[in-house]
Amino acid sequence: MGELGALLAAAYLRERALLLLVLSIAALLALSFLFAGYTVWLRVRHELRERRWRQLTARWEAPLLDALLDPAAAPAVHAAVDRGERLRFVRFVLEYSRRVKGEERAFLRKLVLPYLDPIAERAGSPRVEVRTRAIQTLGTLGLPRYAGEVLAALDDPSPLVAMVAARSLCREEYPEYAPAVLRRLGRFDAWSRSFMASMLASVGPEASRALRDTLGDEAQAPLARAVAADALRMLKDFGSGDLAARIVEAEDDAELLAAALRLLTTVGRPEHAELIRVRCASPDFAVRASAVSALGTLGLEDDHGRLLGAMSDASPWVAIQAARGLVSAGARALLEDLGDSDHPRATLARQILLEEGGEG
Amino acid sequence: MSAAFWAALEGVNYLVLLYFILLNSVYLATSLFAFGALRRYGQRMKSLDLDDLVRGAGAPPITLVAPAYNEEPTCVESVRSLLTLDYPEYEILVVNDGSKDRTVERLVEAFNLKPAARIPTAGLATQPVRQIYRSRRHPNLWVVDKENGGKADALNAGINYCRTPLFCAMDADSLLERQALVRIVRPFLEDASTIAAGGILRIANGCVVKQGQVVDVRLPGNLWAKFQVLEYLRAFLAGRMGWDALDATLVISGAFGLFRRSTVVEAGGYATDTVGEDMELVVRLHRTCSERRIPYRIHFVPDPVAWTECPESLSVLSRQRDRWQRGLFQSLTRHRVMLLNRTYGMAGLLAFPYFFFLEMLGPAIEALGWMSFAASVVTGRADWLFVWAFLGVAVVLGVALSVAAVALEELSFRRYPRFTDLLQMFGLGVLENFGYRQLSAWWRLKGTWSAIRKVEGWGGMQRKGFTLAATPEA
Repeated sequence: MGELGALLAAAYLRERALLLLVLSIAALLALSFLFAGYTVWLRVRHELRERRWRQLTARWEAPLLDALLDPAAAPAVHAAVDRGERLRFVRFVLEYSRRVKGEERAFLRKLVLPYLDPIAERAGSPRVEVRTRAIQTLGTLGLPRYAGEVLAALDDPSPLVAMVAARSLCREEYPEYAPAVLRRLGRFDAWSRSFMASMLASVGPEASRALRDTLGDEAQAPLARAVAADALRMLKDFGSGDLAARIVEAEDDAELLAAALRLLTTVGRPEHAELIRVRCASPDFAVRASAVSALGTLGLEDDHGRLLGAMSDASPWVAIQAARGLVSAGARALLEDLGDSDHPRATLARQILLEEGGEG
Repeated sequence: MSAAFWAALEGVNYLVLLYFILLNSVYLATSLFAFGALRRYGQRMKSLDLDDLVRGAGAPPITLVAPAYNEEPTCVESVRSLLTLDYPEYEILVVNDGSKDRTVERLVEAFNLKPAARIPTAGLATQPVRQIYRSRRHPNLWVVDKENGGKADALNAGINYCRTPLFCAMDADSLLERQALVRIVRPFLEDASTIAAGGILRIANGCVVKQGQVVDVRLPGNLWAKFQVLEYLRAFLAGRMGWDALDATLVISGAFGLFRRSTVVEAGGYATDTVGEDMELVVRLHRTCSERRIPYRIHFVPDPVAWTECPESLSVLSRQRDRWQRGLFQSLTRHRVMLLNRTYGMAGLLAFPYFFFLEMLGPAIEALGWMSFAASVVTGRADWLFVWAFLGVAVVLGVALSVAAVALEELSFRRYPRFTDLLQMFGLGVLENFGYRQLSAWWRLKGTWSAIRKVEGWGGMQRKGFTLAATPEA
């Protein structure tokens, strides 16, 4: 009885296992067909969409070009856009606006403004990608009318939405929004520093005052102040030299110090040299390199020896800056002598001479 | 036969079954993750103006480090293609790794290279550098001529002479798309803790190339190359995209990856004693940063493309797979401390066990399965109905995964414009289950055995060259 029971149980298990395998085959086959069908559907949908898009853009392009030449022709553009096509028209203009500047871009903004309300509603979508797209569109085409939505997006929980908002607000046409971005720099500490600095610099000289305020504000995080310093350097803001010098004198944060020294490389004056010299002995190589670079740009004869000494620095980055500094300080001959000697950095001297336009 | 033998055989069957279920569950899971991730990625890219992002926003300078060994026939065309990349500021460092042919001479003639001085900025140990050249015509083109030391050694030499915050490791014979750098640098802009990002590799066999750029994407004519197109789609779009969604990217292809120079130098550069230096470096970066508690991110980015030529003969393909498997084995056994170790986050808890148990030990388990099957047949204990049903599941599952990869491609990038390409890929997804997959498993098994025997060497790779677009006669 026991053996028979075991045999029956084994047969039952075998049958069940086979059934499971057959069901798996059926399910996987169904899945394969589903994927294949989905792929074909995607291809067909894409081609139909492409065709429709080509038709629409062909219909809009000519009146749009006419209107760009003669703004009085704007009603003809609106007449070419059916009610159901408005969002696609906004997309078309958004892509077009990336290719134009100044008055033409302003005209395009005006042209799509009547169509942007539905997009402003999307700025409150629960989906990050939809919000991002909406903010990108409003930031490019909807300022200043939709500034409220774009400014609010700076505090969006999604870093992507906040980044797109900040990027849209940092534009030369709208310097008034830069302080709002600057106030939130601490929020964007994950972003690349050069990215942030360059974004702020793209506002232009109008942002200088706000940037100087940030740089001088000790309550701000060192990172935010360093970014402000780099943005001021990119703007060549000569008014911030003394502020940078004060930071070089008093601050300890290496990143901030290096940024302030980089700023002095562009806007420093001979009276800042003494403060910079102190930092040439910093334990941090990035600070030393920036200090040496700043001294080189100031080009004081007193510092030639110091720059020559920095050629022997343990860090190659400091030595590179020292070599470049000697060239910009007008001490090319010193570098040539070093290049002809058996100094351990003779190769570097020849390299920099070659790169800076000499024979090496 | 003793009861112990049959018990062991049954144990092996269960092990193989468990392996099969686990492996395919992971494949399915990563494919599903990839669907979501690619959809989001596509929408995200629509909302970003990449040009504006990179050009107007402080894109960091990049050094392209391209090791070259006996690349005389292709090196000039490859470098020309690199010179046309669309990126604000970059340098090209071609590292001639002691080529026995005229690679250096060809470069010297074509680009008016002159001996130049350049100091190293890092001290990674490498074979001696013989000479450094700089192009008079293209000031951002440098050639480092050094003694032969292997690809990793050449990359380390390139890193030593790199003076930009980021470097791009690549193969000298890969073709980067013009926007490849603009696209791969994005994670570094968005997140300052990004230390590495990998792009996608696509098969250039069969495609038409003009002035260093792929201008017409086609499926290759060679069947083995066609199978590899499908394999690459599965590996990158389903596999790496899925792992990236889980924040557990463990592999960045040596043919195209962007790295933070300082982090790689701190980690000691590329290991020269492995044939899988690309994977080993990424695993070591995970390990180093986790152990030193340095916040870091490693990404896979699906749209920066490097086109590469894949093997079209079985002998070359088998050598390549053997090498890949050895590289995997060496990388994982060297860093086995990471296995299921929570110190290493998702990389240690998810990706490492997957690669260790399923990719590294998988071929051995599969071989055990085949042996067990053979034993069952020989002793007349094989349940044929069961065997056929099991094989049926394996084949249909393979087909489902391949078709899913084609769907992912269609959902995201649609690089194959002809409808017949899609149909061909569906067909290949079925066909590859009858021979190609088994061959691939065999090569991997051989690779594991070679790794255990500590076999060294790369195995040659004969290149056919890209299909160049016909140019009208002047």
